[in-house]
Amino acid sequence: MGFSNRQEADKTVVEVDESRLDASLATPFRDYIFDLIGQGQKDLIVDLSKVDFMDSSGLGAIVAALKQVGGDGAIQLAGPQKSVHDLFDLTCMDKIFKIHGSVDDALSDSSKH
Amino acid sequence: MKESTDKQPRKGGSTPTGAKGQCLSLSINSQIEDTVLVAMAIRGVCAMTGLSAEDINRIELCVVEVVNNAIEHAYGGCSGSLVNVDVFVEPGKALEIVVKDQGKAMPALGEVQGVQVPDPTDPDTWAVSGRGLPIVDQLMDAIRYETSDDGNAFHMIRQLS
Repeated sequence: MGFSNRQEADKTVVEVDESRLDASLATPFRDYIFDLIGQGQKDLIVDLSKVDFMDSSGLGAIVAALKQVGGDGAIQLAGPQKSVHDLFDLTCMDKIFKIHGSVDDALSDSSKH
Repeated sequence: MKESTDKQPRKGGSTPTGAKGQCLSLSINSQIEDTVLVAMAIRGVCAMTGLSAEDINRIELCVVEVVNNAIEHAYGGCSGSLVNVDVFVEPGKALEIVVKDQGKAMPALGEVQGVQVPDPTDPDTWAVSGRGLPIVDQLMDAIRYETSDDGNAFHMIRQLS
């Protein structure tokens, strides 16, 4: 349970090993990502494949992370389940995040550029 | 009733519990970690109604947003008070979920803004909070917020037909 990260090429993959990214985890998750950003890891892929429920607080934490990396980094999302993708669609946040089907898709997409 | 944003006002009385209606009442401690208990119970009730998996996920989302709102705003994030949730089911007709608290009332729903579309080129439009009630307003057929001496009640209605 919790969060972990690993390096894949020049990117940091953040794995969310929780089934619910909700208000009870939004602050710890935001702090975890902010720590990574503070350590200079600003090109992140967040693996959401294990998350089957996210609320607006969880979404807000991811948006806060995106704002924190600013213009000199990126946060991409990978593997969201249907309900999580639905939340991004409903809130139009799919317009500001690049969402990939899987971490592998995100990595291979990045390597093309 | 202070404010109403009913999109499809229900005809008749103020509660949907007719002769064929069923009601489930739940109470949780006012702490964010306990919202999941209501969420799971609501999923169970929804599974009886013939709603699609997508609809059930969306109703769960709405209930979580409103319960969290009660905990964070009505009770200022303090545990030790009760959030009560009543679920009324009229099979084939409507599902009504009422989230009640005894804390601080929130502003009238008429002030709820719609979902704000972010501008990918303008980080100032990437809000980190304030999406909960717009989402609920968008997904439910009707919402209503009442305050009285007995407390506050947020009603969400979803048609089943």
